[in-house]
Amino acid sequence: MKRGFACVVTLVVTALSIVALAARVGEPAPNFTATDSNSKAHTLSSYRGKFVVLEWHNQGCPYTKKHYDSGNMERLQKEWTQKGVVWFTVISSAPGTQGYVTAEQENDYMRRMNAAPTAALLDPTGDLGHLYGAKTTPHMFIINPDGVLIYDGAIDDKSTPDQADIPSSTNYVSLALSEAMSGKAVSTPTSRPYGCSVKYAH
Amino acid sequence: MRALIALALLLAGMTASAHADERGVPIPHGTVELVSEQQSIQPGQTLLLGLHFRLGPGWHIYWINPGDSGEPPRLEWHLPAGLRAGAIEWPAPSRLPIPPLMDYGYEGEVLLPVRIEKTTGLAVGTTVTLAANMKAIVCREVCIPAKASLSLSLPVRADRPHELAESAALFSAARKALPKPAPAGWRATAKDLGDSFELTVNAGRTISQAWFAPLEPEIIENATPQKTASTKTGIRLILKKSDQLLKPVSRLRGVLVLPQSAYVIDAPVAPAPAKRPKKEQ
Repeated sequence: MKRGFACVVTLVVTALSIVALAARVGEPAPNFTATDSNSKAHTLSSYRGKFVVLEWHNQGCPYTKKHYDSGNMERLQKEWTQKGVVWFTVISSAPGTQGYVTAEQENDYMRRMNAAPTAALLDPTGDLGHLYGAKTTPHMFIINPDGVLIYDGAIDDKSTPDQADIPSSTNYVSLALSEAMSGKAVSTPTSRPYGCSVKYAH
Repeated sequence: MRALIALALLLAGMTASAHADERGVPIPHGTVELVSEQQSIQPGQTLLLGLHFRLGPGWHIYWINPGDSGEPPRLEWHLPAGLRAGAIEWPAPSRLPIPPLMDYGYEGEVLLPVRIEKTTGLAVGTTVTLAANMKAIVCREVCIPAKASLSLSLPVRADRPHELAESAALFSAARKALPKPAPAGWRATAKDLGDSFELTVNAGRTISQAWFAPLEPEIIENATPQKTASTKTGIRLILKKSDQLLKPVSRLRGVLVLPQSAYVIDAPVAPAPAKRPKKEQ
C-alpha cells in the first residue's frame, strides 16, 4: 500500500514538472544552472534585468556553419552583447556525436572564429536542450529582463545552409531584441527553428 | 538465332552503358537525376518530369514540411521561353524519427514529379533543353548540403509521345505514392481541444490505421505519438498542438497517410470552447 502511494505521488510530481518546465513564449523561461567552457557556472535567474539569448550550436552542422563561416553569428554576438545582452551559446551534442566538444576544443573554436558570446554552455547530457525543447542548430531563444520567454525559433527567415541567403534575410533575433528593447511587442515571437537536429544522447 | 542473341546482348549492353552514363549527378551519399516520362514533347501538351533521388541506406531527403529539422529540396528552373514548371508534387512522406524529434521525408529512393505546362510555341523538329539547379539537404545522423545542375534534352515532335520504357515503372510508382484528393463522400473536420486538435475523418468505412502529416510546420508536436481511434465510418486522431502555436488556426491541412494510400485533408477547425474551468490542485 505504502509503495502504491509513493508511485502515485511520483507520477503527479512528474506531470506537474513537465507542465511547469515547458518553454513557451509569454511564460516564465525555465530556470537552469549550466557550466561554461571555462568551468564557470551560470544560473539564468541571476541575469534578471537583462535580455538573455540562447543559441543552440553544433560546429559541424551546415546550418551553423552558414552563420559562423559568414561571420553573421559572431557579428550578432558582438552587436548585442555590446548593448548589454547576455548571449549563451549552448552545445547539447552528446559525446561521440557531431558537434560534441571538450571545453578546450570549444575555447579553441571560439578563438578561431572570433566568436563573442558571453559564454558557451556545455550540455553533453542534453538536459538544458530538453528543458527548452531545443530542436535544431541553430535554435534561438530570447528571455526578457523579467525572465519571460519572448522568442522561440529560427535565427532568420531563410531556412537554407547557403551564406548567400543571409543578406536578404530577416533576422528574427535582431528584430525581436530591437522591438523588445524599444518597448514594442515582438512581431514574430515564434518561427520554425530550421537546421540540423540537435544530436542528443537519447 | 545465335546472331540474334548476340545482337540482343549487344543492345542490352549498349542500353546499360548509356543508362549508366545518365544515372544522374552525384550528390553526397547518392545521385539525383532529372527524368522524363516520355520520349518527346508534343507542342501544347503537358510534360511530366521527375526529380529522381537514389540515396544510400538510411540517408534521406525531406517532404514539403520537413518536420523538426531539415528542409525540402528546391528547384530553380531554366526553361526555354514559353515553358513553365509547376511546383514539386510531393509523394506521401514517411515518418523519420530522430528522438526526441520527428522529421518527414523519403529514405533511399524517391521520384518527385514536376509538371511542365504550356509547351506551346515549340517548333516541331527542334530539341529543347530543360534545366534546373537543385538544392537539398541529405541527412542521416548528420546533414550534408547537396547541389546539382540538372538538365534533360527532348525532341519536339508533332505526334503523341511514347512513354520512355525505363521511366515507366518509376512514374507509375510515383503516381501511386502521391496523396489522392479526398473522395467526394469523405468529410474531415477538426476541433480545437485547447492543448490538442481532434481530427475526425468520416470516410463511410472504417479506417484501421492512419497518421496525419501536417502541411504547415509548427502546427502540431511532430514527435508526440498521435492517438487514433477507428470508428465505424472512419478514424479519429488526437494531435498535440505545437508549443510554438500561439494563435488559433482555422484549418488543418495535410495528408492522411494509410498503410497503402494517402489522402489530402483540409479540415475546418471548430474553435476551442470558451475558457474551461481550471482544475483544482
